[in-house]
Amino acid sequence: MKNRLRVLRAMREWSQQELADRLEVSRQSVNAIETGKYDPSLPLAFKIADVFGLQIEEIFLRDVAEQAAE
Amino acid sequence: MMTSAAHRHNKANAKPGIWAGLFGANVAVIAVLHITGALEGAAPFILYALNFTLLIPLVRTIYQRQEQQGAMSPAMRSYNRRFFSFSALYMVVMLAASGLYDKMAEGSAVVWLLAIAPALAAMGMIWAMYRYLREEADEYLRQRAVSAAMVGLGFVLVLGTGWGFLETFGLVPHIWAWWVFPAWAIGLGIGMARPERDAGDLP
Repeated sequence: MKNRLRVLRAMREWSQQELADRLEVSRQSVNAIETGKYDPSLPLAFKIADVFGLQIEEIFLRDVAEQAAE
Repeated sequence: MMTSAAHRHNKANAKPGIWAGLFGANVAVIAVLHITGALEGAAPFILYALNFTLLIPLVRTIYQRQEQQGAMSPAMRSYNRRFFSFSALYMVVMLAASGLYDKMAEGSAVVWLLAIAPALAAMGMIWAMYRYLREEADEYLRQRAVSAAMVGLGFVLVLGTGWGFLETFGLVPHIWAWWVFPAWAIGLGIGMARPERDAGDLP
């Protein structure tokens, strides 16, 4: 799943470690989510949304192909 | 940029692959000498056990790498401590049991005890894994550990099935079933240490 985590993080000038500390997860987790290698669970996705003060849909984006199929 | 350079430099220091390779090569050499009969009696077991001391630098470098990759958590630290303690116990018990068993009366209660003892230490390692999966609050690290355990399991099942048929068809000699735990642990290690695409810790 695509996401805007890296951009949002850059806008706030947070390092991966800083975001990881705010989310209470490892930096490796932030890296895995950011690079699209791991999709977070709903609770973690809500936590990420809360940290950025945004809606989940404003952070995580549906794949274009998936959207087209609907 | 300084942080990034220092990060890369540190990463270059932790090389668990070297220790894992050395450990594997030794196991292969001892196994060949054992199977061909060049080593007899307790000698191969003592060599296998001595080879386990290589796990100390291997484990240390794996911890370093976990720290450097930002993959460390409180649950992982507890797991590392528990798993390492039980592997050390396994090593000591295995060495003691294989050195003592032929000095005891055949089939006696002591021999039963010596034979069961390494399995108890192995149970401790599995318990450490179970506790880790229960305690790990980081869902990504938990998922990684589960995948690594599956890699270990797959490794053991494929190797065991393959060897079983080779043995049935008289192509390879018989090997004892206690190899499953080290084989699983090697698979687990491969699963845990597989390289990560790390975008680096820059904003």
